[in-house]
Amino acid sequence: MLELRGLTVSAPGRDLVQDLSLSLPDQGITALIGPSGCGKTSVLKWLAGILPVGLQAEGALHLDGRPIPRPHPALSYQPQSDALFPWLTIAENATLGLRVAGMGKREAQAKVVPLFDPFGLAGTEALFPAELSGGMRQRAAFLRTIVQDSRFVLLDEPFSALDAVTRIRMQRWLTDRLRERPRAVLMVTHDLHEATGLADRILVMAAAPGRIVADIPVPTPQVRRDEAAMAPLRETLKSLLLEETPT
Amino acid sequence: MLSRVLTLLLPFALLLAGWEIYCARTGASPLILPPPSRVLTALWTERAAIGGHALSTLSVAALGFSLSVAFAVLTSVALHFTPWAERALVPVFVVSQTVPLVALAPLMILWFGFGLLPKVLLVVLVTFFPMLLSLLSGYRQTPQAFCDLLAAMGAGRWTIFRRARLPAARAGFLAGLRISATYAIVATIFAEYAGARQGLGIYILSAKNNFRADLVLAAVLVSAALTLTLLGILHLIARATARGPMDRSDA
Ligand SMILES: Nc1ncnc2c1ncn2[C@@H]1O[C@H](COP(=O)(O)OP(=O)(O)OP(=O)(O)O)[C@@H](O)[C@H]1O
Ligand SMILES: [Mg+2]
Repeated sequence: MLELRGLTVSAPGRDLVQDLSLSLPDQGITALIGPSGCGKTSVLKWLAGILPVGLQAEGALHLDGRPIPRPHPALSYQPQSDALFPWLTIAENATLGLRVAGMGKREAQAKVVPLFDPFGLAGTEALFPAELSGGMRQRAAFLRTIVQDSRFVLLDEPFSALDAVTRIRMQRWLTDRLRERPRAVLMVTHDLHEATGLADRILVMAAAPGRIVADIPVPTPQVRRDEAAMAPLRETLKSLLLEETPT
Repeated sequence: MLSRVLTLLLPFALLLAGWEIYCARTGASPLILPPPSRVLTALWTERAAIGGHALSTLSVAALGFSLSVAFAVLTSVALHFTPWAERALVPVFVVSQTVPLVALAPLMILWFGFGLLPKVLLVVLVTFFPMLLSLLSGYRQTPQAFCDLLAAMGAGRWTIFRRARLPAARAGFLAGLRISATYAIVATIFAEYAGARQGLGIYILSAKNNFRADLVLAAVLVSAALTLTLLGILHLIARATARGPMDRSDA
């Protein structure tokens, strides 16, 4: 169990996020939704230990009841852009986290290469990111995140750059991968379909200052989550978001 | 490929042809403006002498340039990790660039004699700065997302530098290298002109004193060829060390 307590992020003169607390259980997808600029990325970056210079933050992070420093190996972070390094091959990109953690090149490659096939990346090992499609890049970034074997995975709008069809494919693909290797996922998204289709729980943020205004469990099993079944929940979320965003 | 070579050579061919025709039509004194044909003939008859001087110039330039590259890379790393030193020293380097070469070259000779040292120093002084600046700005312009990603993986400043900033600075550094390489030969010739026993600079000086415009131009031609050679070598190195399709296209 990961617990974030009393996070306040401030820029000079104003609070971007105010006294925000959230906890993540050891499994399942938690979606974080909220209007643009409400501070979702800031929360994820703080958790990952990379808050931009110029922002002040206060808050505590506890893992299984004990305070932990940030960055911490129990958390891995995938930025809003895929951040694949253009000068590294896909295999080298995928092993980056392991290499930084001190694993040897051979060992890291041996660990990652068998995953290329199940991740839909077979044959791309020696290619460079510029040679991949958007969906493949996203899968490569996700492979890089997942091989770090962290208990908690932070994803910042992982599918927002993809076209509609690829996005739906990737959402299914993500749930399949998570079934194989269960993790706790905290996923920022703008897409209500995505949130209601994937998440076990949805956190709704409001803006200025950023805070959590609703914590909604989604008990419907994955197989019964068709468009129509989830429509009422989407309506609820929509009205929550509109209510919190004065025009 | 062929058309690219043609578009590259065509302007030169036109220029030389125009020059040749101008000399023939106006009957300009070859002491003042020798036609290209005469320059080439002079180059051929004097090839042994010019070749020897060119070799000397090339070795000084190459030595100075290599030292300068190493020095620029080391300095850039040191400055990157000590921001206050960067703030303090970069203005000094900028000012050093405003000292004209014509003033610097004789001073170097005056202080360090006629040997190798003053020439190598001059080459370093002239070529160091563009490379240093391109490296520093390359480090600084590394996409924040790359540095953030590594930091979130637990990387420290050095790992971030080695895995993100250094490779991200590659393209800019290559551009700086190319600029510096073109200065290297010119700076060497300046230093030799100010005082030397060997080299194209001193050769040009003595040819001028003997009213041999054809030999001056022949030496200029050779110095241009040397610079192109240096650029060609850089291009090959860039090609050989390219990582990824973007690298290959801008190499
Ligand atoms: N370095 C910074 N300095 C000052 N303000 C910042 C900085 N970074 C972000 N902000 C502000 O913090 C607020 C929250 O930004 P953040 O990126 O966390 O929002 P977000 O919810 O992720 O938005 P989006 O949905 O558009 O990605 C915004 O109002 C933004 O202007
Ligand atoms: Mg964001």
